Formats: sequence, C-alpha cells, structure tokens
Amino acid sequence: MSERRRHLLVLLIVLGLIAGSAAAILTQATKLGLDLQGGVQLIYQGKATKQTKVTAESLQRALDIMRDRVDAFGVAEPELARTGKDQIEVNLPGVKDAERAAKQVGSTAQLFFYDWEKNVLDESCHTNETEINGGQQPVTGLYNAIKRAAKCKITPPKTSEAAAAARFYAFDKVSKKPFNAGLPDESHDAALSGLDNAQKERAEVLEVKPGVLVLRDEKASATKPAPDAWWIIRDDPGLSGTDIKNPEQNFDQRAGNEPIVTFDFSDKGRRAFQRITSQVAQRGADNANPLNPDPVANSHHFAIALDNDLVSIPFINYRENPDGIDGSTGAQISGGFTITSAQDLAKVLKTGALPLKLELISRSQVSATLGKQALDQGLKAGIAGFAIVALFLLIFYRALGVVATVALAVYAVYFYALIKLIPVTLTLPGIAGLILTLGVAADANIVIFERVKEEVRAGRSVAAGLAAGYKKGFSTIVDANIVTLLVAFILFILATAGVKGFAFVLGIGTMLSLFTAVLATQAIILSLRGTRVMSSRSALGAGHAKHKITFDFMGASRWFFSMSGTILLIGALAIAGKGINFGIDFESGTRITAPLAKAATVDQVRTALAPQGLGGAKIQTVNNKDLGKNVVQVSTDTLKPSGVGAVNKTLDQRFGLADQPNVESIGPTFGASVANSALIAIIASLLVISIYIALRFEWKYAVPVLIALMHDILITAGVYSLLGREVTTSTVAALLTIVGFSLYDTIIVFDRIRENVPRMPSAAFSQIVNRSMAEVIVRSMATSFCTVLPVLALFLFGGDTLKDFAFALIVGTISGAYSSVFIAAPVLTHWKDREPVYCTRERRIRKELGFLPAYAVPIGSAPVDVAPAEERGGRRAITAPSDPTDVSRAEFDAMVRDLGIQEERQPASTGARGRPAGGRRARANGGRSGGGPAPQGPKPAGGDEGSKPKKPRNRKHGRPR
Amino acid sequence: MAMLVWAMMGIALWHFTIFIPDRFWGGIVGAFLGALFGAVIIGFAVNGFTVPGQADTHLAAALEAVPGALAGIAVVYFAGVRRGNEAA
Repeated sequence: MSERRRHLLVLLIVLGLIAGSAAAILTQATKLGLDLQGGVQLIYQGKATKQTKVTAESLQRALDIMRDRVDAFGVAEPELARTGKDQIEVNLPGVKDAERAAKQVGSTAQLFFYDWEKNVLDESCHTNETEINGGQQPVTGLYNAIKRAAKCKITPPKTSEAAAAARFYAFDKVSKKPFNAGLPDESHDAALSGLDNAQKERAEVLEVKPGVLVLRDEKASATKPAPDAWWIIRDDPGLSGTDIKNPEQNFDQRAGNEPIVTFDFSDKGRRAFQRITSQVAQRGADNANPLNPDPVANSHHFAIALDNDLVSIPFINYRENPDGIDGSTGAQISGGFTITSAQDLAKVLKTGALPLKLELISRSQVSATLGKQALDQGLKAGIAGFAIVALFLLIFYRALGVVATVALAVYAVYFYALIKLIPVTLTLPGIAGLILTLGVAADANIVIFERVKEEVRAGRSVAAGLAAGYKKGFSTIVDANIVTLLVAFILFILATAGVKGFAFVLGIGTMLSLFTAVLATQAIILSLRGTRVMSSRSALGAGHAKHKITFDFMGASRWFFSMSGTILLIGALAIAGKGINFGIDFESGTRITAPLAKAATVDQVRTALAPQGLGGAKIQTVNNKDLGKNVVQVSTDTLKPSGVGAVNKTLDQRFGLADQPNVESIGPTFGASVANSALIAIIASLLVISIYIALRFEWKYAVPVLIALMHDILITAGVYSLLGREVTTSTVAALLTIVGFSLYDTIIVFDRIRENVPRMPSAAFSQIVNRSMAEVIVRSMATSFCTVLPVLALFLFGGDTLKDFAFALIVGTISGAYSSVFIAAPVLTHWKDREPVYCTRERRIRKELGFLPAYAVPIGSAPVDVAPAEERGGRRAITAPSDPTDVSRAEFDAMVRDLGIQEERQPASTGARGRPAGGRRARANGGRSGGGPAPQGPKPAGGDEGSKPKKPRNRKHGRPR
Repeated sequence: MAMLVWAMMGIALWHFTIFIPDRFWGGIVGAFLGALFGAVIIGFAVNGFTVPGQADTHLAAALEAVPGALAGIAVVYFAGVRRGNEAA
C-alpha cells in the first residue's frame, strides 16, 4: 500500500473512531466513583474461623453473600470486589448511613441458640443449671468480664463455634478501656499489632480460652445504647443460624405490636428446638420455688445470640409448654428491635451467615456535596490542563502544534468514550491520571517535533525532516511509554483501591496516546507535507537556531552534584527532625468533617465532645465555602461506627449539622497494608524498570537511572517533610508516577547517547554525553515543561486531594528533569569513562591537544562524526520519493541511509531522466509492479549526468517547463 | 523512618565524592554503595541493631549516618587504591 493510501486509511480510521466515540459519549452514562457522587465505602479484612480458613474460595463465598445482602437492601449500582489477598471492598453510592450499611453488609450474622441456665458460668467457672440465670448477674465493664473469663479453663464442647479458638483482648492497664474497639484477635501479637509504641507499653492482653464465650447483655430497648454488661458462658449452642429458614420481620400483637423477627426451622432444627425447649421447661418445673409457684418467675431460659451479642433470653413457660415448643410453627426473636433493625436482621439471616469473620478496617463516607465539588474541580482542572498544553504546543510548534492540538482533542474524545464504554469508574485519582496523560500525549509529539526541527536545521528538506523525525522519535517514545505502562501496571496490581483507578486510567491513556500522538499526527502531517504551510520552516518553528548550545554539562556536573547533595542533606535533617506527616491512610484513625449550622469555635467543639473521650482529639476549622461557613474537622484514633454516630449526634444536637458529615475511618491493619503495598510497588517498579533499561540499553545504563530515581523520590520526601504536607495514598501514587516521568526524561537523554556512541568513534565518553545533552536539552526541558503544565492546572484548580497529588508531581517532575541531565548522565559518564576504550581515547586526546575539550574536535584527519553502520538484511523496500520536487535525490539518498533501508531499484526510466517508467502508478506500486531491477536508478544531482543543470519539470507531463 | 534518614544522608554525602579523584573500587557507583551501606550499617549498629520508628527518630539519627557514610566511602576508596585504580 502506498504511503498516501496508508495515511488516508489511518485518517479514515481516526474519523470513524471519532464518530463512534461521539455516539458512545452521547448514549452511555459516566460511572462516577464514590468520591465524586457521595456514598459509603467499607473495606473488610477476612479472618479465619474454626471452620473456614481465609482462601480465595471462602472470600468469594463471603463476597457473594454480601452482594445478596446489598441487593436485598436495594442499593443502586453497588460495587463489591476482592482487593489484596484477604480484603473485600464494598462501595455503596448514595448511601448516607454508614453505620447501618456496615451492620447490614458486614455482620457475620452468626446466630446461636443456647440452653441458657445450662451454660452460664459462675465466678468459679462452673455452671449452676438449677438456678435461674445460673444464679448470676451480668458483669459490668468488658475488662472485668474478660478478666473473669480469662480464669476459666474448661473442656470446649464439641458444638463450640463462636469460641472454638482462644481469643485475645487488649486493654489499657491504667484506664481499663479496651483497645481495638473491644474486639478480640486470634493471637497475642495480633492484639498488639494495631497499637502504637505508647499504647503497647500500657497494654494488657488477656486470653479467653476455647469454649468460654463472653456475650454482651441484651439491650433494654431499641432506642437505648448497647449496655456495658457482659455474661460469661460455656459455648455449647443447641442450634445455629443454619437450622432456621424464612426469617421475616413481623409484629408481636401480644406485646403492643412490637417489631419482631419470625422464622421457621429446618427439620433438623425443629427437632433440636423441641428437644432443648423441653429440657428447659422440665428443668424450670423441677426447680420451681414451691413457695412461689409462678411459672413466669420460675421458668428457665433459652438464649438467642447474634455475633456475640445477646438478642433475647425468652423463658419457656413450663406450664404452657411442659413438653417444650414444637418448632413446626416456627419461632420468633423479640426485644429491643425497631422496625428497621428487625427488617435488617431478617434480611441478614435470610442471606445466611458469612463463612469468615470480617473485620471492618476502613470506612469512608463522602457527602454528596463534597463529591460534586470534587467532580467540578476535577473537570475544571482537566479543561485548564488541556488549554494550557494546547497553548504551549501552538506557541512552540506553530503548524505542527495545530496538528498536535487536534490530536490532543481527538485523544480526549477517545478517552472519554473509552471511560464510558469499558466502563471505568471515574474517581478523583482517575481524573488526575486523565489530566496527566494529556501531558504524556503531548510529550510524544514534542519528542517527534523536536527531532523534526533538528533534522530540518541539519539541512534536510521539511518533508525529509518530517519522515526522519517520526522514524527516529518513535523508538524513544516507545521506550518511554513502555516504562510508564510498566509503572501503571505495577501500581494496578499492587496498590490499594484508590490508586488502582489512577493506574488504570494512566495505562489506558498511555496506550491511547501512542495511537493519537504518533499514528494520527503522522497521518495528518505527512498527508499535508506537500502544502505550503508544511513546507515552510518557520511555520513549523524550525527556523535556524539562534544559539548553539556549547555548555560543558559534564564539567559543571560537580556543582550540580553539590547542589543535589545539599538539598538531600537538608531533606534528611528535616525528616529526622520533623518527621513525615503521614495521613490517616497510613497512621489509621477517624476523620470527621462536619458542616455545622451554627458557628462553633474549636474549644466549643472540644468541650462538646469531651464526654465521649475525645477531649484530646485534633479539632480544627476548615475553610471550604462549598461545604458551608462553619466546617469543623475532628481527627482522632479509629472510632467504631457507633463512636462516629455518637460524634455526629453530639455535633447535631449542639451546633446542628448543615449537611451530612464526611467520615473517613481507617483501621490500623488497613494503614499497615497500604504502607506495605506502597513499598512493594516502589521496589517492584524500580526492579522492573532496571531490567527493562538493562535489556534495551546496557546494564550500566540501568544503575544511573536507579540512582536518579532515588534522588527524585528522596528529594520529594524531603520537601514534604520540610513543608509538613500530609502524605496520603495519593502521594504514593504521585511518587510512582514520578518514577515513570523521571525515566521518560532520562530515556530521552540516554537514547541520544546510545545513538551518538557509534557516530563518534574517537571521542571521549564525556564529549559524547556533552554533545548528546546539547542536542536534547531543549527537548527534555520541553517535555518536562509540558508535563508540569497540566499538573499545574491540577494544583491550581483541583480540590484538596488533587492538590496534594499535584504538589508531589510538580516537585518530582522538576527533580526528575534535573536529575536526568545532571545526575544520571554524569554518573553514567564517570562510570563509562573508566572503561579501557574510553580511557585510551581520553589519553590520546590529551596527548594530542594537551587537554580534553568539552566537545569533540577533529584531531588530525580523523573526523568527529562518522555515519553509523547501515543495517543490512531484509528490511522493507521503499519507493523513490513520491514527489521529486519535494525531496531531492541527495536528500532521498540521505534518508535511505539514515533509515537503514536498502533502496529497491526503480524500473527502467523512459522519458524524462530521473523518473521511473510508468509515472506515478509505477512509483507507487514499487516492487510489486513486476518490472525487474532497473539497469540504473535515478542519478543523484551532481553525479556524472547531474553535472548538467536539471530543468524543472512539469508535474503533470514530466516535460521541461 | 530512621532507615530512610540514614540512606538519605548516605546518598547526600555521596554527592560530594565528585570532588575526590575517582579511584574508588567500582567507580562512582562503588562510592555510592559504600556511602549508602556504610550509613545504614553504622546507623543500625549505633541503635543496637534496631530501626527506630517515626516517633523515635530525631535529628541525631541523621548525624549517626555521617561517620558510617564517610567510613563506607573511605573503605571503597582504599579498596580501589589497593587494586591500583588510577584517577579517571
């Protein structure tokens, strides 16, 4: 296929895809993430039970049950997915009550029925089944209850499930308050793992042995809080949740229409229920007080426990049911329900118990207002990013810039359509990725355009320069984009959920940009290369260079090294002295951002929250006009859902809530897993990138790259510490992106060094590097500048999250551009300079000239440059240039030589000299025309026959004009 | 956190080896590794073979890395001299 037809085909594909994209954009809805539309995000960590280990299958079963529950609760477009090796992420858009959502979705729903008196343990860890409630009262305070339970050593009953294994509770030795929200862990170390050093020193861990269960007492009524009163029992359940069916919410008409949950028993459950209730009734009758024969006062009990909380302890009236209760008519759970909580329990029981214990390790609640605000800011930043990059391209590359801007617009349309079609859930980090890829797409064009300018300035025609620019720039772009893709891939595999969205968008964008920025612009530009605009050097911004760069980069490197060393020293001292301000993503905790109806000072809020033990919490006012005038932020240790609810309630009662508060609650386990995944992602990126560089270049090129990357990451960390900016998961994503972009720059420099090494066979390595730097410094600065521009838009117009992200990127990109030129290249030079071949060259130059010039100069008759060896072998043939008035023969030959392609002989010429037989069609068909090799090709101007001046030819007829 | 500080100090000090004639074993990269590992190993040893966390890292942690980095650079330099490396 001829070149022109190929370009036409590409343009038709581009247009077709634009039409398809427009249709997709108009017809498909955009899927917004929670951070852009508001809702609740819950992240659970699976913990093994006696029956089930944490495996992919058990997690999947748990996920399926949770999905059924979410469906039963009617949440629109929920998203549930496994993340990491043992976590489940639940996104519930539009849900406002995070506490209720957590209960609905993540409660294990382990339901057990106990013969109560037979199981209650006394202080000596014995049961006393002849006495009502075993002669016991609930123990006040969890610490006291666990302390007492910890003394019991009993033989675990075979039926024990809830207490099948030992459980470990951590308490504050001084205050006796529980750590870890009063929830048990499976080992001593696990109980301490979420505590900081100060807490660990104060911690007392108590072990409750297998078979002994501590249950919270039942609530007095639905509106009362859960009591801090606990029963210690032997875990010998008579039935479990698997023995019931058809649970439903109903009303108990005998008790004033109190909400209850009714259910039926399975056949096995019915028999077990009758047997146990009969035993309870019999025992009640046997032990009735003869002086007070009231059956209500003397009857024994049957207890129902759900997830270690007593739901109810009904008595079995031995007069009415002397043979127990026939389970064929089902049974009911009553006491302490509202209609909603009874409905919730019924639904949870219906979907069944989860096979795993799920611990809520992170809970975020985004208000719809904040979500809309974030979306607006993201869109504004995107538009500004596009405009600013387009402006830069137009100013710097003029006609080429117009084409690049069109390609950028096409890219944006494609990308938006892809987001809708896949569909990609668009999150705030995802928008950041989208804006960044605008820079990536523009960078690809800059690499090519700078190469085109270079070729044109070196004396080629514009047409030849364009062809050579695309050919030579392409491999650099592929190398650089593969590195960005690798980083995106590693981030997607290893990073946490929020960062995953960013990585996915970055990956898609990088691939798409290869199509629009390289193929599409190539088709447009090369189709237009005969036009007046594309033939003009000045219209392409490729006029003669005003200044030739002669700066001694390698000579000055020691001063740049010193500057970097000093910056790193300051950074290290700052990190040591001030530390790094890690956000709650890493440190764990709860952050509530609440818009208040009435103005409140920090002290007033502190006083209001003090009774809940939050007097020492970090409380600050927040300036956010979209949220309201009086916004306060409360940051504290991780609170349980009930704790968050209590804070919200207090703020509402005291100051009034203008809108739903924004809540972020990260458990210690989640913080640790975020930090670990970030560290692994960074190490994995460095390793993979090193391997790629070593394979594509040479292993010695990989080491300076690694050193430069460390330099960039450490400088960014130092700046964060110095300024006290908060480090969040977004910052980690930004750091990894810095890795990608820093490499982009370094690859541009190294690619040119690699290209110049065979061209300068007698130069010292420092001279090769100086020459390479002088050639690419403008290109390198332009790509970095172009990347910083959209990032700057993010920083100026993005919300708080995007601002943090953009700040890290600005620091990292500037550091990356600097380190590519002034760290990576000098390290490579110093290292390669020691190789025998370069030592010999340097000695020879010093011997001849008495010194080592910064740039290579001819010594004797030896030229500085030689043409690189041409590649041989079966490369594709090309035809003669499509229009001799565009490209001279000499230029064409130079292009063939540069491209390393063997020219195919032209058919025998007839008519006008220098033109192939058969005119344009024959030229276009080239080797396919069947004409054998011509006895002679077109002679170059200046050759034997070329000494005679050629007359311009009529384009149409090939005759002299 | 102390590990980050030690490594950062080691790398910071390495930058100034550019003023020393390059007779390092392994060249400038050898000096880099010497500074990095020297800083980390001595920092680790000074702290009783533990790595202080964020709360326990103070300004002294940065200073602890200095002798290690210098010693690491010196070791690599004299190893290069013993091997007969000439300044490049």
